[in-house]
Order: sequence, then C-alpha cells, then structure tokens
Amino acid sequence: MSAILTPELLRRLEQFQLLAARRAKSSARGERRSKARGQSVEFADHRNYTHGDDFRYLDWNLYGRLDRLFVKLYEEERELPVRIFLDASESMTFGQPPKFDFARQIAAAIGYVALCGFDRVSMIPFPDVPADAGRGLEQASRGALRSVRGKKSSMQFFRNINALTASGAADFNQALRRGALEAKQSGVAVVLSDFLDPAGYETGLTALIGRGFQVNAVQILAPEELNPTTYGDLRLVDSETGSLQEVTFGKYRLKAYQQTVQNYIQRLREFCQPRGISFFSVGSDASLEQLLLKQLREQEVWG
Amino acid sequence: MSFLAPFAALFALALPVVVVFYLLKRKRVVKLVPSTLLWQKFLADTQASAPFQKLRHNWLLILQLLLLALVVFALMRPYLTGTARETNLRVVILDGSASMQSTDEKPSRFEKARAEALKWVDGLRDGEQMMVLLAGATTEVKQSPTTDKAALRRALQSCAPSDAPTRLADALKTAGAFTFEKRGEETVTSGEIHLFSDGAAPDLEELSNKNLPLVYHRVGTDRDNAGIVRLDARANPENAAQRAIFASIANFSTNAAKLDVDLLFDGQMVETRPVDVGGTNTELVIFTAPQERDGVFTVRLHTVDTLAADNQASIVSFMPQPVKVLLVSKGNRFLEKALRGAANVQLSTAPQLTDGAEAFDLVVLDDVIPVTLPRANTLAIHTVSTNWFAGWDTAKSPPIVDWKSAHPLLRFVNFDNVQVAESLAVKPPPWGVTLVESPQTPLIVAGELNRQRIVWIGFDPLQSTWPLRISFPIFMANAVDWLNPSSANNGQYLVQAGNAFRLPLAPGLTAAQLTTPDGKSRSLPIEPDARELVIGDTLQQGVYRVKAGTNEVTFCVNLLDSNESNITPREELPIGKYAKVTATTMKRANMELWRWIAAVGLLVLLFEWWWYHKRTA
Repeated sequence: MSAILTPELLRRLEQFQLLAARRAKSSARGERRSKARGQSVEFADHRNYTHGDDFRYLDWNLYGRLDRLFVKLYEEERELPVRIFLDASESMTFGQPPKFDFARQIAAAIGYVALCGFDRVSMIPFPDVPADAGRGLEQASRGALRSVRGKKSSMQFFRNINALTASGAADFNQALRRGALEAKQSGVAVVLSDFLDPAGYETGLTALIGRGFQVNAVQILAPEELNPTTYGDLRLVDSETGSLQEVTFGKYRLKAYQQTVQNYIQRLREFCQPRGISFFSVGSDASLEQLLLKQLREQEVWG
Repeated sequence: MSFLAPFAALFALALPVVVVFYLLKRKRVVKLVPSTLLWQKFLADTQASAPFQKLRHNWLLILQLLLLALVVFALMRPYLTGTARETNLRVVILDGSASMQSTDEKPSRFEKARAEALKWVDGLRDGEQMMVLLAGATTEVKQSPTTDKAALRRALQSCAPSDAPTRLADALKTAGAFTFEKRGEETVTSGEIHLFSDGAAPDLEELSNKNLPLVYHRVGTDRDNAGIVRLDARANPENAAQRAIFASIANFSTNAAKLDVDLLFDGQMVETRPVDVGGTNTELVIFTAPQERDGVFTVRLHTVDTLAADNQASIVSFMPQPVKVLLVSKGNRFLEKALRGAANVQLSTAPQLTDGAEAFDLVVLDDVIPVTLPRANTLAIHTVSTNWFAGWDTAKSPPIVDWKSAHPLLRFVNFDNVQVAESLAVKPPPWGVTLVESPQTPLIVAGELNRQRIVWIGFDPLQSTWPLRISFPIFMANAVDWLNPSSANNGQYLVQAGNAFRLPLAPGLTAAQLTTPDGKSRSLPIEPDARELVIGDTLQQGVYRVKAGTNEVTFCVNLLDSNESNITPREELPIGKYAKVTATTMKRANMELWRWIAAVGLLVLLFEWWWYHKRTA
C-alpha cells in the first residue's frame, strides 16, 4: 500500500463519507443527492404526463384512483466535486515532521474518503511549478491530480501525492481565487496551509465562499513555530520573501510569543466561523488519527 | 600629579572582566524560519508603539535602577559623621617609644596606632589640615600642617618605633604651639591634638595649666612584661679580682614570673640563674664573675613577654685599676686611715702641692691652699679657690639640716649626731649640687667643672664629730669611687636609648667609624677643631663600637627605664596634679563611603550582566 497512510487508517477511512450541506450541483452522475431529477430509486415528485413521456414511469396506481396520468419523477444522484488546495510553498518544508508531509497526509486522507464516495477529487497544489524548473515528473503528477475519480484510482492518487514537493513563494489569495474561478461546479473545498502569508488570507477564502464552496480550512504549524527553542540575539530570514527580522528572544518572552501565535490563530478562527468555514489548527507533530478520526468527524466534515 | 587614593587603580582589574562579558555577547545568529510574519506580530505586540507603556515587572530594569542609584549615591560622596569636633588642624602625635613595640596588639602597638592614625587621615574633611609628630626620645615633625592626604600617609608610613623612652611633654609642647592662635587680645584654640599612645610616659607636670585640646587614643591591652630596669657593674667588695653585676629585674604583670637570667661576657655565657619575681615586684640579681680583660657584660632574660626591648641590657666593664691618690695634708690620721681603708687605693702623701699632679687619679686637699690647683679629680677639704666660689665667709656651728641620701656619694652615709664647730660659708655654686646643707651654707658640694670632678667639704672634719662616726670612712670610700676616673668612665659608657654619647677626641682626626648593634658600619665626619664626638643616633639598644683613629671605644645603649618597661596601658593620662585626659572612644571624624558604594555598584553591574545573559542565552 501507500507510504502516506497506513492500511489500518485507510480501512477506517473507508467508513466515512464527506458531508455536504448543499445538494451537489455537478453535471456528472454520482452518488450524491442533487436537485436534478433523473434515474434513481429515490422518489422525488409527480408531474403531469405530457406527450412523449416514457410509459414506464407512469404511476398506474394514481391513474386508477384519479383517472389521470402522472409521471413519477426520481432524484438524480450526482457526484460531489472536492477541491483540495494544498500549500506547497517553501515555508511548508519546515518543522519536524515537516508541515508539508502532514498536509499531504491530510490531503491523501480527504481525497481517499472522497474517492471512496465516488466523488471527483481535484487537488491543486500551489504555487505552480515553473515550466523551466526541470521537474517534469512532478508536473505530470500535478496534472494527474487535477481530476481523480473512483476508488480504483486511489493508488495512483497516492503515488502522485508522494511525488509532490514544496518550494517557492506562494500567493495564497491568488491561488484560491483562481481555483474558485476554474471550478465548473462548486462543492467541497479543503484548504491545507499554514496561513502565514504576509498578504493575508481573507480574499482567497472569501472567493471560495462566494463561488459557493463549502470550505474546510486546516492550518498546519510547525512545533518550532508554536514553541521556539532558539534563544538569543537572532537575525531571522523569511524562507519565502527573504526579508530579515532582528529579534532578541529569551525564555522570559516565550509566553508573550505564544500569546501572539494564539492571537493570530484566534483571529483566523474568528474570520472563518461567521462564514461557515470549518477551521482546524494543528501542529505538524500532532496525531494524524486524532485529527482525521475525531476532530474532522466532530466538526461534521465527514461522517 | 598625585592620587589621593592610588589603590583605587586596582579597580582597573575589573575592566577585563567587563571585556570578557562583552566577548560572551553573541553575534546575532542568522536563522532561516518559515515565515517572519509571526515574529513581526510578536514584536509589534511587545515593542512600544506608543512613547509610554505600562511598566512591566522586569528584574533588569530594577537592577539598572539600583545601579544608577548607587552611582548617584557614590557621587554624592556620603560620609559617616563621627563625634569628633570640627577643627582646622589636627595634630597627630604618634608615640614611638620602646613600650609601643609591645606585641599585645597584633602586630604591635605601634602598628595599631599607625593604622588608627591612617584612618583619621582618611576621615579628614576637605579644608582640614593635619600634621604628624613622632614622639620618641626627641620629637620629630614628620609632616607640617597640610591637607594633602597622600603626604600625610607617607609621613605616617615613614614613622618607626625606637628603643628609647618617651618624652611626651616635648611632643605635647610642640603640638600645643600649633593649636593656639592669637586673635587680638585673647588666645583661641584652633586645633586638636590626637595622641596615639599607651600612656607609658613620665608625668606631664609642666603642661598642667596649658589646657591642651588633647584627645588621647589609647592602644594596648596587656601588661604582661618583665624587664631589666637597672644595671651596674662594680668591683666585688669581697674579692677585688671579681666583678659584681647588679641587675634589677622588674615584673609589671600581676602574676608571678619565673625567669632564667643569663649573664654573658663579650657574648660568652657565664652563668644562668633562675629567678622568681612576684607580681608587680622588682628583684635584685647580683652576679659575681671574674674578669681578665675589658669587656661587655650582658644580662638577658629568658622570657616570652610582650616587650622585647627591655629583656636584654649590656654594660661596659673595665679591669679594676689601682686608684692613685695623692693626699696633700699637714697630717690627718683619720683621713689617711679612711683613705687607706678604701678598696684598691695607692696612697701617696705630700705636705704641699706644687704641680698639677697629672700622675694621680685623684687629689685630696686637706686644709691646704695649693700653689696650683690639681688637674685631676679633687676632694677638697676646708679649702677654697676663686675658681670654685666667688667669695666666702665663715659660719660658726652650722647645724646639719639636710643631706641628699640618694646621691652615690652619700650611699649608706648618715649625718645624724654629727656636729660641726666651724665651716667656710659659700653660696651654692652653679656647677655642683649641695649634698649636705646647713641654714647658713652648703657644707658638702659635689659637681663637675671643666671635665674635672670636685667634691668640696667646707669644714675641717677635725673640727667636727664626723671622724668618730662610721659614716666618715664610708663617705671616703664613696668619694674615692666617685672621683675615680675609670669608674666615672663606666657610667659614661652606659647610655640610655635616645641620649647622646660623647667621646673626647684627640686633635687631628677627620672621621670616625660607628658600628651599630645590627652590625652595620658607617663613617661619621668630624669637624676639624672638634673636641668631642657626639653620637645622637642611639635609638636602638645594644652594643655600639666607635673607632676614632687608634682609639676604639665600646658603649652600650639600654632602655633601663621602669616607666617604659611598665607597659600597662593607662586609661588616663595625668597632666600635673589635677588635670587628666581620659582615653577616648571617639570614632574618626568622617568616613567616606563612596568607595564601598562604588564597589557595590560594580557588583550590581556584574550581576546585571550575568542576569541578562542568563535570560537570553
């Protein structure tokens, strides 16, 4: 099996199904209830028989009682598009274990649940790989990840995820906005990032909401970011922007720093809550099982 | 340029420490982080965005405030005010006498006194002057009045104790001259005398009505001392070939002392004798020893006491020589017999004296007017000379009212029941002391005139009952002893520390060589027409040798002063009969504190650095 997720975890994930608050709007058939009428076993409504309707859907019992012809309508089951926005910027490579590994595991798990539920999964790692970077294999993997469907594709899906690498500077807002525009139908959007973009995260998330996505945001922070262990007079270099920051840091300021981080997370949570975004913040050293099997379920991301 | 506190330069040793701390300060470590976003927010939270922020509990801040407060405090130069009066001039008298060498204070009383005096120098206020006197056998002005603390310290450091007895009165008189100041009609006290002493000094009678502004700082705690207070070497009366050495050993402690007393002759051990001296008692020890050549007898006490200077005394002893006596007399059997009875006398008689009688040690003129006066020491009986007295008369039956029994001539001599029929009447001469007196005239006078010893008896013993008394031969024996030039020499070669030694010189000498007890030798220049050599540098006890031409002379310097050997620290210093000065407990005038504050400030600074690095490292 895949190295990303353990077989045991996969077995348990198979029981879940992504919960969508809204009916699926996809045009492709799937296993999701939708507003469209079509062929399924779920009765939806009657309508008057008009010329040319298929006789097989006539409700003969009703004809017997009312002496009028009605056609039975059934709910059409459609697929649920799941878009996973994976932050693959340089900053995700930090932490022990790296934030990116943790994010990939979450992405793989969500993707696997969606595939098991016959939903279409699109994974969008950002930033894009530059064309001249000589990472053709990864580019192919990214292409393959744009649209995956069916449980049988899951092995290929995992392999492609494994081939991803994180590098470069990301523009979080632009990546999300573009993802929202590209989507033919809205659906479930999962954003996996550290949300540490100097330009902020608000416009990107708002764009997804505006497009009608049901957004789940998972913030992944490195343990080093939550509890720095390097003290002294430091000159900090931003891994993405290269900007410098001089800091004199000691144990005595640890509490103040932690408070700052908590304030940041809290502001992010307060942004998400009124917009109906399910928000999670985890350290990259947190338990994956705990997050997948408990927290996401409690927040009704899946059930 | 000079420094008031040159030892403050030692603070410079702290400079490398600070440098080391600066070396410990690490350069900024470059670190790659995922994002500086959180740090920017953190700094924005913690750094002051407004000009003022709420004061937070910060130990560094408190330490720095404390440091600053200390520095400001030190700059204010605080001092502890003592009880000393404010005065323009403080005269410090440091007692440099032998008793100050006592070791009951560690390392010695003198060092303690010096340390105490140095503290007063430290406490000198701005504008206050101080002068330093060293009181020993002579008073030395070590530093004239000045405000320069460095000079005062130097002056105190240059003081050293001697083996001489104190003459505090001189020092106090000198100091007193500086502490009074005439302002118009009245005399105003303008200074304060600080005496650092143990108080072992003869009484200060002459200062009794001076009302000196004297502060007495007592040093010393102990009185445990035994010492030799008198020493004499004479012919043994029982055996003329031997010498008898008399030594008085005084114990000033209240406890009885068991001592071993050594007698040495020219450094060779002659005898050791154990002696028990009761508390505060004096014991006379008499050694008899044969003597075959001129030499030095040394008496040494084997004892561990606080004062070492008086545990040894030396005396020069010459071989006994027969005394050549010329009796010029018309015949006096009593006198002749008495003179023959004296020890070691070679008596010649003559009816009249025509020359200076240089061949004789002493001349006895008995009721004879000599043609020329003898050059030798003279015992003159019922004879006058215009050289001795300005004029004379006769007194009928002068009663004997008083005699000086303490004089060596009158040792064991008693004038009870002596009647005199007639005597020459003279005025007491300036060159001698009256030994026996009547209301009309001195009857016996003894003295020294132009290096010639003279004993003058104003009456004819045959005209009195004296020859019938036992005192007559004793007096004659004493007189022979006292007038004998060699015995006079014996005394001359024993000098009390601090007194000058005088040596008559042969003409034509230009230099003499002096060897001091510590073995050092130095040359003494002699003025071309000097008649005698005066050696005043006798502050160290022991045996001195002078070589002047072919003449080599040994003399001994000893303490031999019971006042000085009695090292009991005096709580009160009596000045005359009615005045006294009690030892003070006064603290020095003002103690500057800024050094201590600066030291504390330095500690705080170092702690602050350590604290800072401990938190950031």
